[in-house]
Amino acid sequence: METKAQATEPAAQESVQAAVQKKTAVKIVAFVCNWCTYAGADLAGTSRMQYRPNVRVVRLTCTGRIDPLFLIKAFENGADGVIVSGCHPGDCHYVAGNYHARRRWVFFKSLLDFVGIDERRVFFSWVSASEANKWAKLVDEAVETVTGLGPYTQYKMLTDTRRAWEPEMPWSEAWAPGIPEGVPLPEPTPLDLAVRAKAKEILETGKAKVVIGYAWAKRQRRAVPVFVADPAETDSLIFNALCVNNLTNYLTRHAKDVKALGRPAVFVKGCDARNLVVLQQESQVRREDVTVIGVPCNGVVYRPETWQGHLTPETLSPKCAGCEVREPRNCDETVVGEVHPLPAEGMSPIDSKIAEMDAQPSQVRWNFWMEQFDRCIKCYACRQVCPLCYCERCITEKNQPQWIDTSAHPEGNLSWNLIRAIHLAGRCTFCGECDRACPVNIPLNLINRKLGLVAKEAYGYAAGMDPGSLPPMIVFKPDDKENFIR
Amino acid sequence: MARIGVFVCQCGNNIAAEVRTAEVAEKLKDVPGVVHAEDARFYCSNPGQEQIRKMIKEHNLDGLIVSACSPHMHEKTFRKAAETAGLNPFRVEIANIREHCSWVHHDPTKDLGTEKAGDIARMMVERVKRDRPLSKIKIPVTKRALVIGGGVAGIQAALDIADGGREVVLVEREPSIGGHMAQLSETFPTMDCSQCILTPKMVEAYQHPNIRLVTYAEVEKVDGYIGNFTVTIRKKAKSIVEENCTECGECIDKCPIKATSQFEMGMTKRKAMYIPFPQAVPGVPVIDRNACPKYVKDMSKCGLCAKVCGPQCIDFDQQDTFETVNVGAIVVATGYDVMPAENFPEFSGGKSKDVITGLHFERLASASGPTGGEIKRPSDGKVPETVVFIECSGSRDERRGVSYCSAICCMYSAKHAMLYKHKAHHGQAYIFYMDIRCGGKRYEEFHRRAVEQEGAIYLRGRVSRVYPRDGRLVVQGADTLVGSQVEIEADMVVLATAVVPRLGSKDLAQRLGIGYDQYGFYNEYHPKLKPVETVTGGIFLSGACIGPMDVPTAVAQGSAVAAKVLGLFSNDEMAREPIVAEVNRTTCNACWDCLVACPYKAIEREAIKNRQGEVLRYVARVNEGVCMGCGVCVAACHSKTIDLKGYSDAQVYAALAAV
Repeated sequence: METKAQATEPAAQESVQAAVQKKTAVKIVAFVCNWCTYAGADLAGTSRMQYRPNVRVVRLTCTGRIDPLFLIKAFENGADGVIVSGCHPGDCHYVAGNYHARRRWVFFKSLLDFVGIDERRVFFSWVSASEANKWAKLVDEAVETVTGLGPYTQYKMLTDTRRAWEPEMPWSEAWAPGIPEGVPLPEPTPLDLAVRAKAKEILETGKAKVVIGYAWAKRQRRAVPVFVADPAETDSLIFNALCVNNLTNYLTRHAKDVKALGRPAVFVKGCDARNLVVLQQESQVRREDVTVIGVPCNGVVYRPETWQGHLTPETLSPKCAGCEVREPRNCDETVVGEVHPLPAEGMSPIDSKIAEMDAQPSQVRWNFWMEQFDRCIKCYACRQVCPLCYCERCITEKNQPQWIDTSAHPEGNLSWNLIRAIHLAGRCTFCGECDRACPVNIPLNLINRKLGLVAKEAYGYAAGMDPGSLPPMIVFKPDDKENFIR
Repeated sequence: MARIGVFVCQCGNNIAAEVRTAEVAEKLKDVPGVVHAEDARFYCSNPGQEQIRKMIKEHNLDGLIVSACSPHMHEKTFRKAAETAGLNPFRVEIANIREHCSWVHHDPTKDLGTEKAGDIARMMVERVKRDRPLSKIKIPVTKRALVIGGGVAGIQAALDIADGGREVVLVEREPSIGGHMAQLSETFPTMDCSQCILTPKMVEAYQHPNIRLVTYAEVEKVDGYIGNFTVTIRKKAKSIVEENCTECGECIDKCPIKATSQFEMGMTKRKAMYIPFPQAVPGVPVIDRNACPKYVKDMSKCGLCAKVCGPQCIDFDQQDTFETVNVGAIVVATGYDVMPAENFPEFSGGKSKDVITGLHFERLASASGPTGGEIKRPSDGKVPETVVFIECSGSRDERRGVSYCSAICCMYSAKHAMLYKHKAHHGQAYIFYMDIRCGGKRYEEFHRRAVEQEGAIYLRGRVSRVYPRDGRLVVQGADTLVGSQVEIEADMVVLATAVVPRLGSKDLAQRLGIGYDQYGFYNEYHPKLKPVETVTGGIFLSGACIGPMDVPTAVAQGSAVAAKVLGLFSNDEMAREPIVAEVNRTTCNACWDCLVACPYKAIEREAIKNRQGEVLRYVARVNEGVCMGCGVCVAACHSKTIDLKGYSDAQVYAALAAV
């Protein structure tokens, strides 16, 4: 029996066979569910359909079992293309596994595309147990397309290249001008005074045992987090555009020494408050265990070293342009202050950068990101500073099996940054701490923002706005969009 | 170091035609951990299995792969064979080199097949190296069944389970069991009186020592899993103290209030204090709180029933009560509805009283019905001289959202035509049909009888409209066999309306955690091979809740389901495949993403306590009885704290590395 593909294109079939013999043929890894697609592929065999031999099937229970990172692992292991296929919506053997899978694919597909991994190498499909023909066609199409694109050398080069970048420390000059001994600190602003009064009130009334806020650093003109337990010491507290830290990080499971100080009260900006909502949704912080004090925020500086005493459009953090939460929500207490945002012109810089990158060919995006990720030294500052990276044990530390090459090698760097991004998809509130903390200036918030836009476009979801809602990656709707699935 | 054996099957010539099996075996010997590799003609045969067993012992194998046909074919066979040789069956994997290789690629040189078969086998070797020996999960079984729905399918299931010596709780929404079959006049193709064959079964179910009837009740909540369900039943207030009622019927006689009888399809009235029909089981009446003045108008004056009730069992203040039952299996037999005539305005449905559904006709033809079994049309009680039956009213009609065939209408319309002819000798029956589908034992003969002996006139074609004219109904349609339009003046029109899922079927499915199709019919585990099971262990289906079906099929399903339930109850513990998720308690963040994502509610919050009993923290725990092993939680878990036994991340990665 011959399939149409074979009948119409004997030449193509031949060339594939020749290629196999020359060991240059493309390899496709197919992740399929046991009940529909695997059985469909079985039926293709029983019906003696003929299709290209380049596919290697990994049988899983359900498409819902497929971690998006399996795809990356396949590429790391030399696959030139990946097929992901399972039961049609409504047919899942496990009721809803494929609905979950579909949502993950939406995020992961956007992420792959955004970092410049050619979308045409990934094939999402539904193949039922009776659609043997569809399976055969899918494999043939995948092999043909990927053969046309050629072996995935782009990815393979990652494995082979060594680090080309030499650290230049471009920031070292600008860093930390410092306040000379004896020079007095700036006069407290009305907002500083309001913050101090609020902290004092909270400590004195016993609403909290410790206030987590900001104060001037001892030797530098920058703001640092402080933990004030004594009402008399509240006079050190400040709030201004240098108060960049997201203090909710001190409420997670990692901050055990903070927990030891007793019930905390924490100052939050709007973006930090959103973060707290996510922590609350994910049962990491019991809202009743913490007093949340909202501070109105007019934006913070991007690089504290550029601070010249007041905020300018040039020094404003890009995350603050177009901010919708200058007045924090879901707070117990608020500090009264003025909100007078800097005039925003057009699209925020992050969004326009995303739009600009989306318009470029994927190779350009790939080059951009590889240049960025190449600098990564795997210090995990991005992880440390993110309140939502609260895992007891990070996936990077799991070595049975090893998910990520832990050395600062281009391949492992890409995997780490993809994992970080996909784990924050639909959860990140763009506080921008990862971006700020990165010692090699990788624009991490750009990826976060991209996936945030996907959540908004595909599911109308914005993280950290509503404590009663559920993050989009763990729920589904039967009629979620799926125009990318064959 | 692993001691893996590789067995490459030639499958006669099925694999050997495309794959040099000996070469594959030879190459696999180079893979670290493989201590033995060989090929043979048929490993599934007895000598083949014996050879595997022999090699397991000879080489002291701790895992093996059989490179052969699909695991869906012989995985069980080879696992069993390995088990008898003392190897853990879950250390056996199948490399599918037939369906996924030799049958789908043709290369006369055999190079392609040999290379791919080698790759597939290597991937499986890496997998099997990381297969942990697993043992089947044992779950205790509560040997009591819940049957939801007291129609014939539910009654049959309940009776058979009870006869098998197990307890049954039979829950029925209405005040009496019986379902739609109790409404039917006579049954095709034997023309037995429906109630005559059903009511003995109803009484038997009522009196059976192993069956407890809970009528006028609904399932409120279902918790637990196969063998161990906890079901909350809402018992609606009957306004009668059931235990004291003697079923004398005095209260019904005295009740002065009339209300529409749903059982009689609204064609007559019953009392506000009522039993749905005379043979109702149990015969305990209930008060219709939508009709009784005690409730609608707060006329505390009535209360006649309470005055005449000897045992004083009327309780106007009764509230809904909740009962919790522990059962090991649940049978869903909730039946069907029919599309109402009102859905067919073009056929004057809902506008003319004489346009009725098949169920209305059943009541008209029933000796216990509103007309005492005489065919009289509802509008004026005249015996109709011409009756038109319209088949496929709604069925096979995409416009109405029903693409399926309702399966029973061809037969019951033939029956209706016969009954009509028997009762109104001068009458003429016309039947408009699309196709006649009478597949079933003695069904075709029955249909031919209606045509040949009873003189029903069958017209192949659709009806375009029905409208009233001078007290009669004009039926306009087409006869496609003659190729002309037809106009018939009828006295009554009977629509064989589509069988549709019971109202609220989706809601119940969600409470039970079972699947349903786009219409709301429940999904079987497998339409052919597991027709009464659902994908949720311990929940079974019976009757027309699965899809349109006739009485014999529903009864057969009732018995089939009973066999399944009794099988489940035959052991104190049940064993199930150990392919389930497991949690690493030390790394769990308790973010509960897994709990939200799990389609089976199999994840629980486990408290970790210190020796003083204080809760230190919570972690996720997989209830192995409920987990079906899909792995949705595994992919949802950020810290990779959950893994799936038999399909672990380590196995997937190892297989990928071998590609």
